[in-house]
Amino acid sequence: MVQATAEILIIISPFFFIGLINKVKAIWAGRRGAPIFQPYYDFFKLLGKGEVISGTTSFVFRVTPSITIAAVLFALMMVPLPMFGSVLHFDGDFVMFAYLLGLAKFMTVLAALDTGSSFEGMGASREATYSTIVETAFFIVIGSVGLLTHHSSFDTIFGAVNMAAAYTPLVKILLVASLFIMLLAEGSRVPVDDPNTHLELTMIHEVMILDYSGPDLAFIQYAAALKMTIISMLMADLLVPSHAALVPALTLFTGILVFVFVSVGAVESLIARTRISHVPQFLFLMTTLSLTAFAVVAFFLFGGIK
Amino acid sequence: MFDFLAGAGLFLAGGVVSIFAKEKTKAVIFLLFAVAAQFFILPEIIATLLSGGYLAMPVYFSQPIGEASLQLDPLASLFALIISVGSFLTSVYSIGYTKMYVGKRASLSAYYFFLGLMAFSMLLLVVAQNAILFLILWEIMSISSFFLVAFENGKEDVRKASLYYFVAMQIGAAFLIAAFAWASAASGSLDFNSFTSVLSNSGNVSILLFILFFIGFGTKAGFIPMHTWLPRAHPAAPTGVSALMSGVMIKLGIYGILRILLIAKVPDYRIAYGVLLVSLFTGIYGIMNAIAQQDIKRLLAYSSIENIGIIGMGIGVGMLGLVYNNPVVAILGFLGGTLHVMNHFIFKSTLFYGSGVVYSQTHTRTMDRLGGLTRYLPLTSSMFVISSLAITGLPLFNGFVGEFAIYLGLAKSFSMNTLPMVVAALIGFSGLAFIGAMALLCFTKVFGVCFLGSPRTKYKSVPNEKERTLLIPMGILTVFMIGIGFFPWFAVMLVKNVVLQFMPVGSLPFFQEILPTFGMFSTVLIAFVGLFLFFLGLRTLLLRNRKVTVFKTWDCGYQVGSSRVQYTSSSFAQPFLRLVAEFVPQGIDIEKEPVLFPVGASLESHTQDLSERFVFRPLVAFLNKSLNMFSWIQSGRMQQYILYGLIFLVFLLVWIFGIR
Repeated sequence: MVQATAEILIIISPFFFIGLINKVKAIWAGRRGAPIFQPYYDFFKLLGKGEVISGTTSFVFRVTPSITIAAVLFALMMVPLPMFGSVLHFDGDFVMFAYLLGLAKFMTVLAALDTGSSFEGMGASREATYSTIVETAFFIVIGSVGLLTHHSSFDTIFGAVNMAAAYTPLVKILLVASLFIMLLAEGSRVPVDDPNTHLELTMIHEVMILDYSGPDLAFIQYAAALKMTIISMLMADLLVPSHAALVPALTLFTGILVFVFVSVGAVESLIARTRISHVPQFLFLMTTLSLTAFAVVAFFLFGGIK
Repeated sequence: MFDFLAGAGLFLAGGVVSIFAKEKTKAVIFLLFAVAAQFFILPEIIATLLSGGYLAMPVYFSQPIGEASLQLDPLASLFALIISVGSFLTSVYSIGYTKMYVGKRASLSAYYFFLGLMAFSMLLLVVAQNAILFLILWEIMSISSFFLVAFENGKEDVRKASLYYFVAMQIGAAFLIAAFAWASAASGSLDFNSFTSVLSNSGNVSILLFILFFIGFGTKAGFIPMHTWLPRAHPAAPTGVSALMSGVMIKLGIYGILRILLIAKVPDYRIAYGVLLVSLFTGIYGIMNAIAQQDIKRLLAYSSIENIGIIGMGIGVGMLGLVYNNPVVAILGFLGGTLHVMNHFIFKSTLFYGSGVVYSQTHTRTMDRLGGLTRYLPLTSSMFVISSLAITGLPLFNGFVGEFAIYLGLAKSFSMNTLPMVVAALIGFSGLAFIGAMALLCFTKVFGVCFLGSPRTKYKSVPNEKERTLLIPMGILTVFMIGIGFFPWFAVMLVKNVVLQFMPVGSLPFFQEILPTFGMFSTVLIAFVGLFLFFLGLRTLLLRNRKVTVFKTWDCGYQVGSSRVQYTSSSFAQPFLRLVAEFVPQGIDIEKEPVLFPVGASLESHTQDLSERFVFRPLVAFLNKSLNMFSWIQSGRMQQYILYGLIFLVFLLVWIFGIR
């Protein structure tokens, strides 16, 4: 019962976190900013509208938003909540998790190319290019926790990650930092991408969905927000001690989510988007961090130091 | 066993009979034989696969083969399955495809004869257990496929490509001959089973032998750096043949490696690590180069190299599992490898068949000239997008199943208590993810550029799908892509006995341990599709009474856009290729008129294959130089050559009598 409520709250929450980022940025800039629930109003406004569809497009363009939202929701089911674990778990579920997100990405890239717009092609090309770096690093992250816990499912990995030895805090910090970069990249935030500058040649995610409107756009925006929430949940899963009692664990979990999104807002207020040709260097930082984490685990497991 | 041989014979008979048939009926006659062959072959191999039994039959040949045993075990059956079905599908496809050539200079008799011969030799190859018989069949397979590649020999580049292919195959065969000769000499018999004594020990001989075998078979399969023939031969061959070569024939290289492994029983740990790493590099290198290609068939050829790498990784993981005595890892590795053999056959054939439809309708293989084909070829494009998703390894379709098994095998290796294994597992684990992400880039490019958007150049005639025989093979394979994707349990059960052949006796419980995961897929994926349909329905419901305007693509207020401004395959790949410029060097030739107001200019970009540049060119240059030292032998005078012969005979006489 509590688990179901928690899952439903998570499903509802993504737009709150987006609103939170915007609020943080507004306050930082000295503005009052839009209400924190503004993304919800936008969402329902979009659901209530008609659509303008490009005549160049094919069936790919029409099915993509529904596939994206379904894939991200399914990925959510494989991410555990503290104490409860995940709704859906089996051996190797993280592969399914990553590949469902990959399916969503594949379709989004195709939908962008479907419009025949050079802008959207540009965004599609960048999205696909950067995901080659992020995807690889994400599997190094999974490999590190796999080595740390000797398990092969998100559910059991995160159940055991806190039981391990004294050097785990170091590993956790590295992995959380790594996942934070993934959050910025996959969520198309500064410094990888800037969700506010519509129509610029520097865009990645927003430019791919230029031709979407109405309910389709609502689906896509929800899926994008949920994807960010999912990645921040993985970070929280790493940090929340699994032996804590239910209420403190869930409070801490929520607190970490809020903190992560406030940090995203802070990062966006503090630094500018990097030049597009320098984005890979930033993303390789994720690879470096996760490889270091793996090296630390391997060193302590096999180096004979306890 | 007899049915199987009869079926193989029917393929050959079909090829022979079609020589005497009329030009227009050759295709149908060959197809009839191919269909009949299925009835003989399929029941027997499926029974072997499901029961795990062996069928054996001794055959007596004259010297030098002598007594040879033919044996149909699960491993042979799995490959026979894809050979038989693949040849059948290509014969269906050829009906429509060879229509273009009826009445032209090209010889359809040769096409069908060599198609039959190739199918026949491949089918017998997998049951042959005798070194000389195996090598003879191996050569027949290579030569018949050479003639098929050279089908359009009126074209200069086809002649070049087919000769390149021929030479590459002979080099590979030379390594195999050396390996088999050594193994036979050391074991004193030509029979495969007797090689166990030579191959199973961990001495230097067995490692060297394995390397020789790996180079020989790897040349056929397309492991780096011996892969260079694939991107040349595949575009040159007629599409049905490309599909057969890429989907089926290169897998026989994998078959050879697996057969040697089966003979060797437990591999040496160095070989196991070597196979895993070479395969990983093959995968990464293959897909990186695929991304750079502009010719669709060349791209698919490089992608075959990538998939051979993935299959090899599965085998490598399996071998490491055996080395470190971890049955679950070993089973998952071999399972992933064998499933991917089958899956790659299914989706790569579909992709090649699809590219053939595109070529037959637009007369170009250059992706930058295509675009917007979904409107003209709806069936082809929907099957093409499904196979693109499958080859990327995304869930819902069959490609995911094999890759999942390899991922899981690697993930389970993290709990082994061996540092090298753990590091290798991480390299494999993240490397496979890297390959997967690059495959996403590669196949969104192929499908997005060729089929989506609007045409980049005006098509000479309106492309259409009237030729249904081109679509039937793709349709059949698409059913399997979806079927295996949603119900992988069946595919896993089909290869179960193949996997268990590699395992020590009593490994069945470990196999049963991993089965539920694959059973779980069906529920998860069906629920996923349900959720997708729910949202699609919701969208339709929301838009029911609203205005949906069809307008042109948003062009940022710029009114005079044309379809030429769309992203092309080269521009789509450019950001990635700049990241990996060291590994996929791009050459750009610019020609400008050196005048103040130039009228014409041209720009041509092409990629260079590192392996050709750094391995084969220097090697050939070295051979040319060193062999030139003996050029004085070649005087061109007949008398001198007769003298050589005489000297050789005298030498032979002295040698023989000297020994007695």
